[in-house]
Amino acid sequence: MEATTIQKQELYYPLMSEIIQVDHLTRTEKRFIISLPDGQSLGHKPGQFVELSVFGFGEAPISISSSPTKTGQFDLTIRATGRLTDKMHHLKTGNLVGIRGPFGNGFDVSLLKGKDMLFVCGGIGLAPLKSLIDYTLARRSDFGRIIIVYGTKNPSEILYPSEIKVWQERPDVEFHMTVDRPDVNWEGKVGVITTLIPPLDLVVERTVAAVVGPPVMYKFVLMALKAKRLPDENIYMSLERRMKCGVGKCGHCQINHTYVCQDGPVFHYPDIKRLEEAI
Amino acid sequence: MNYLDTITRMNLHEKYLLTSKQIPDFISFLKTQGAVYAAQKKGEQSYSYQYVEDPANVVLDYPRTIQPLKKFFLPPREELLSFDYQNNSYQKTDVVAEKRIFFGIHSYEMQGVLRLDYSFKKGNPEGNYLNRRENCIFIGVSYEPDEFHLANALGIEVENTEGLSIYLEPVREGYIAFVIDEAGQNLIQGFGKTAKVTETIHIKEKPAKAKIRYHYNRLPKVFEHVYTSQVWGQIAKKCLGCGTCNLLCSTCYCFDVRDEVSLDLQSGTRERFWDGCMLNRFAEVAGNENFRDELSSRTRHRLHRKFKYLTEESGALHCVGCGRCSKYCPAKINLGTTINALIDDFTEQQKLKEAY
Amino acid sequence: MSKPKVAFFDFTSCEGCQLNKLNFENDFLDMLEHVDIVEFREAMDDKADEYDIAFIEGSISTPTCIERIHDIRRRAKVLVALGQCACSGGVNAMKNLHQPDWVREEVYGNEKYRFPSIPAQPVSAVVKVDYEVRGCPMSAPEYLHIFKSLVMGRKPEIFDHAVCVECKLKENECVLDKGMFCLGPVTRAGCEAICPGNGQYCTGCRGPISNLNLEGAVEMLREHGFSETEARKRLHLFSANELV
Repeated sequence: MEATTIQKQELYYPLMSEIIQVDHLTRTEKRFIISLPDGQSLGHKPGQFVELSVFGFGEAPISISSSPTKTGQFDLTIRATGRLTDKMHHLKTGNLVGIRGPFGNGFDVSLLKGKDMLFVCGGIGLAPLKSLIDYTLARRSDFGRIIIVYGTKNPSEILYPSEIKVWQERPDVEFHMTVDRPDVNWEGKVGVITTLIPPLDLVVERTVAAVVGPPVMYKFVLMALKAKRLPDENIYMSLERRMKCGVGKCGHCQINHTYVCQDGPVFHYPDIKRLEEAI
Repeated sequence: MNYLDTITRMNLHEKYLLTSKQIPDFISFLKTQGAVYAAQKKGEQSYSYQYVEDPANVVLDYPRTIQPLKKFFLPPREELLSFDYQNNSYQKTDVVAEKRIFFGIHSYEMQGVLRLDYSFKKGNPEGNYLNRRENCIFIGVSYEPDEFHLANALGIEVENTEGLSIYLEPVREGYIAFVIDEAGQNLIQGFGKTAKVTETIHIKEKPAKAKIRYHYNRLPKVFEHVYTSQVWGQIAKKCLGCGTCNLLCSTCYCFDVRDEVSLDLQSGTRERFWDGCMLNRFAEVAGNENFRDELSSRTRHRLHRKFKYLTEESGALHCVGCGRCSKYCPAKINLGTTINALIDDFTEQQKLKEAY
Repeated sequence: MSKPKVAFFDFTSCEGCQLNKLNFENDFLDMLEHVDIVEFREAMDDKADEYDIAFIEGSISTPTCIERIHDIRRRAKVLVALGQCACSGGVNAMKNLHQPDWVREEVYGNEKYRFPSIPAQPVSAVVKVDYEVRGCPMSAPEYLHIFKSLVMGRKPEIFDHAVCVECKLKENECVLDKGMFCLGPVTRAGCEAICPGNGQYCTGCRGPISNLNLEGAVEMLREHGFSETEARKRLHLFSANELV
């Protein structure tokens, strides 16, 4: 066999990296700012993910929630829902975690240049989209309008309140938010995320939508975007699967012939709309 | 397939006679050249590839082993790294590429390894697999297809020698060793006790018992049209979701990774295990949502991988017809029967299309 | 870090699970350094304090069981059902398939009025159960995994695939193939296929996988020469509550 001609890779060894800051975002979500050894940059694209591990607690794919324009460190926003993520919530500044990656395709930002960006973020879906939002804001003049549509179940689940405040105040960002179940202090809009879409005034030919949210959300958001006559070609979405290896081997994330960890997690909607089991 | 062609092709190779008495000597010689693995009896009526301690235990006439050869390159349970739990540090686990000689394997088994080679070389070539795969020599042997072997119907004849160094064909006195490549030549010469055979060897045809209604090269086409077939639902009625078909498949390579910590909580290992798309948790995502919940969609996925997805990419069917999924299925779901049912479904569809 | 307080309690069972613990005592010694055992088999009449982990063996089959398990639950941060009786009612639940009066008459005869009895239920039918160690007796590898996980503060990893998987990983010869009865294809793994690995058949003592194809299982056993009656009886042996 011609194995000698192939660059064999050590695919499964993590890089021990330091947690340099932990932010409590909500009751179930924390943001971890991580730095790789020797100050090296992750070199990721918006929308990519890493495999995060803690010895004894396993490994899991986590999307990167900071822009590549921020170098020397990167953010992971983590909801405590499993063996590894529960453990993460017990870790503190200075602790080491294992990082492999970045993996996946990410958003091809060259295709988005000059476009009006419409971000549709459902719940924790804001975390992966934040890498792209931050990127577009860092290169603000490269893009047309920036419209962010964000919906959560209740006000206590709102991620990144300080960033949201900035977005709300910036004249060059159109930010719309709604909650499903308001509390007594809530003064904003009430309703599911799809209620925010019809009132938008979009120039559909130059608008690109980036959609991330819980699995149930996609169908309804797509219907709402269709009603706005946004062409399918202008829609991108990121899918969540349990990418165990991140390198197209383990099979867990496979949807028909597609490996989410290789061909995704960001998908051009026309490529997956006929893919059963995808959304 | 014309059998005369096979005879002609095989006779182009150099041939040597290994008498029945010489076989144990030959194996002993092989043991001086590397670690020898061969089929040996396991339990009452099964076989397994095992390290050869005693050449007398090697079996050359067997239907199939329980696990395929993949277990040597992608072990059922493999340590990826070891860690110090208390100090949060780890050590890489070395993959030793020892020289190994696999003695007496069937052609579909070799083909299974070649398919795995494809899967582990593509995209991100995986060091763990490829290191184990280096320095391996394969010596093939003829076999009598049973009712589960689909290899012939899938285009892998008994005498397919791709990947092999030597091929053994039984004759009255013992075995004719066909030398396939240089490594094989070196082994035969190193052994040195065999007589060269010059006359034409008339290899006996080994008729396949299991048949598929279409030529195998039409199967990817069939699989393009049977995604919504009712056959998947029919199989799901019998299927128990035990995953035997995945785990024993020659070409399945999906895995899971788990960390385990020692009981004194000092150290631990990160290990990977064979996993399979028929199993419950395989396609689960956060919130316990499962995007392939039904056994029907799992079987569909499993077989589309064998006959369509990987085939479109690589050009080769990723079922090698070893027959393990049929032979060891507790519910006796037979792959040949399934494929024929899908073909029937496909022909029915075509007829309907023509009618309109 | 203070050591977690661990307690063990017995309900209706043969205590075979406790006995099984002694079989892997050596492995277990390392683990014991990390915990404080505060109760072992004792009744809770001393109003002892609270437990970090309470292990419960046995099914709930008398009115007093219900009171007692509520009391334990109130004091336990984590409650683990130990063995098949606690997880599903186990063998005890076979009595649920018969008239309660007949059962009591059969067992206690004239004294039956002195022994109030209710249908045998899993612990989870009465209180919230955090984790289950299945098996009759409970499976040692799963027990150690869960014990260790709880001490580490880690969610244990509980399998939901069949015993067949463990047999295939170990390349065991298939006992069904040898003409033996086996419930491995539909029984939840976690025992490392200890029975088929030793030439015995799987009795299904860890209960069915979550997506049990019951009719398929009966059909499979018929294909292997076992009558439907026998198939159903054996499937019910450890899983009467789950299969009703």
